[in-house]
Amino acid sequence: MKLRIAHLYPDLLNLYADKGNIRVLTQRCRWRGVDVEVIPVLSGERPRFEEYHLVLLGGGSDREQELVAQTLVKHRSDWRHAAAAGLPVLAVCGGYQLLGHYYQLPNGRKVEGLELLDLVTHAGHPRLTGNIAIDAGETLGTIVGFENHGGRTEHAHEPLGKVLKGHGNNGRDGLEGVRWQNVIGTYIHGPLLPKNPRLADHILRLAMDYAGMPIALQPLEDEWEQAAHDAFLERRLELPRT
Amino acid sequence: MLGIWVGKLIELVLRLAGRRATSLPGKWALRVSPELLAKLGRQLERCIVVTGTNGKTTTTSLLASMMRQEGPIVTNAEGANMRQGLAAALIKHTDWRGRLRAKTAVLEIDEATLPLVASCFPIRVAAVTNVFRDQLDRYGELDSTMQKIMEGLAATEAVLILNGDDPLARRIGLGHPGRVLYFGLDERHLNAQPREQMRDGAFCLECGARLQYEGFFYGQLGVYRCPRGDFFRPHPDFRATIEGATLHLQEPGQPDVGFRLPVRGLFNIYNALCAIAAARVCGLGRGPIQQGLDAFRPPLGRMQVFCTDPESILNLIKNPTGCDSVLQAICHESEPKVVLIAINDLAADGRDVSWLWDADFELLAEAGRVLGVVTTGLRGEDMALRLKYAGYPVERMQVKPDLDEAVETSLSLARQLGDAPVYVLCTYTALYPMAERLQRRVNRYSHETAYRTSVS
Ligand SMILES: [Zn+2]
Repeated sequence: MKLRIAHLYPDLLNLYADKGNIRVLTQRCRWRGVDVEVIPVLSGERPRFEEYHLVLLGGGSDREQELVAQTLVKHRSDWRHAAAAGLPVLAVCGGYQLLGHYYQLPNGRKVEGLELLDLVTHAGHPRLTGNIAIDAGETLGTIVGFENHGGRTEHAHEPLGKVLKGHGNNGRDGLEGVRWQNVIGTYIHGPLLPKNPRLADHILRLAMDYAGMPIALQPLEDEWEQAAHDAFLERRLELPRT
Repeated sequence: MLGIWVGKLIELVLRLAGRRATSLPGKWALRVSPELLAKLGRQLERCIVVTGTNGKTTTTSLLASMMRQEGPIVTNAEGANMRQGLAAALIKHTDWRGRLRAKTAVLEIDEATLPLVASCFPIRVAAVTNVFRDQLDRYGELDSTMQKIMEGLAATEAVLILNGDDPLARRIGLGHPGRVLYFGLDERHLNAQPREQMRDGAFCLECGARLQYEGFFYGQLGVYRCPRGDFFRPHPDFRATIEGATLHLQEPGQPDVGFRLPVRGLFNIYNALCAIAAARVCGLGRGPIQQGLDAFRPPLGRMQVFCTDPESILNLIKNPTGCDSVLQAICHESEPKVVLIAINDLAADGRDVSWLWDADFELLAEAGRVLGVVTTGLRGEDMALRLKYAGYPVERMQVKPDLDEAVETSLSLARQLGDAPVYVLCTYTALYPMAERLQRRVNRYSHETAYRTSVS
């Protein structure tokens, strides 16, 4: 049996190293002997959610973002059914914003979102940029990376974590990202997964459970991942290693 | 005279103001005296011209450096290769009485400018580095660039020096009424299946048929033949074999000689070969050619060679596209090697190092005979992780956050591995500290003339 990962709109959203996240997920499968396939879904295509075990939605520039929003909302009900049924989704940056009701542009116009989550984003000034670390609880530990977003996001769900250093969702409430069902949204890239192997494996576990794969995820030698994670915390964020 | 005075005055003012005078003096001098180029050009005894699409500036500086060993020359540095730049270069070497202080000129001339100025200079030798076009014409029609080069050259009595591995340059040679000599790489350097395969292929400029290649050196450069006619890669008059940093030159009727190159990468090797061929045609022997190569200062971080023990080659990387071309150039070198990568994330580097995941580091894992990798810099651990996921074996990687330790480790590893060269890749803020550390480790006894680089 094959784990099938859908990569949404690589033709529109190619910022922030989606490649890196995909590389991490696929390599961590292969190193464990888990058969994995990445399915690129182009902007003209209708996503076939029944065939996927995990969906990746990345970020892009404002212009690309609007194009993606227009593409996404066409299949809004497909998305809702799939997410409600427990399909794991990882949405980063622009993709994260599109999970909600809307993204309000500086001129007041609202770009409609998927309405999967009770979440809204308003453009703000200045951009929230820099290295970030969050405490994502016992299972996921500390998540580190880079954020660069103009939008301020508010939502009524559980956050991905509490900001230790950086801005997070809106720079005000000390929270970052979102978790609902098997959907994870975050502003953290850099890319997100290489230095956060616990999060990468958590996502793989969700996907394999959803796929009904009977195999348990074997632990990997994560010395290099941990070294990069710790060095980043200490050297770039001046926080103690975790 | 007035034109020359105007030009010299502007040059003086610019120099006093601490600004570079590469074309402004020429612009005003030509406005006052439109015949200036011909007037000054007449005073020259010989002029050597370099033209082509890529590599003109490097080739011209290499050749100028060689020719300078034999006496004073006029040259237009920094690629000021149109009428104003040529005038500025000549004015710079003219005294206030209007007399040129040199009898030889080595000039880089833009392809489109060549037909406009060819009659002004006693062009004895003309070298064409290569002719690259975005789209090769299927119907054998020459585009205007080639037309201009051919027109410009036909008006001279120059000996032509052409890249015979380039089918487009070959076409120029076939159309030239005068003497033509070709340079090219030895067939042992052919690749059967280049990784960056040319999308459109190359077509015969005589009949339009798709050229058949025995193999490629780089891009459209290779050993080609038209299946329908007698258009084929000529036998090189100057044939080069590359061994590490040494270019072995074969010339009919001459003993083989080796030259130590100050640059690396196939593109630069072609530039050096072109310059050496032109110098040979001008009658230069091995000594002045090697001295000229030694005195050449390559731009910082572009395949810049340092005579450390073993030697190291410094490169700047700053975005995925530029990084990919550096990775390709490194993997083109067939010898076993050690790679040292320094990644910083300060403002000038870009604080977000996501781009490392968009660059094709898989190349280092899959090809290129990389025996070991050392990573360093503020984000050295991120770089090592990138390589792990590219499939590079972790047991052959080391992370040394301290720059000095990283340089020591990679050089001593390279020595253990049979004096393999160390290819160094740096982001912007790591480049100068790295160059400085490599310079400090340059082995003064490995070379007669002190090996100088552009670090100051
Ligand atoms: Zn033909």
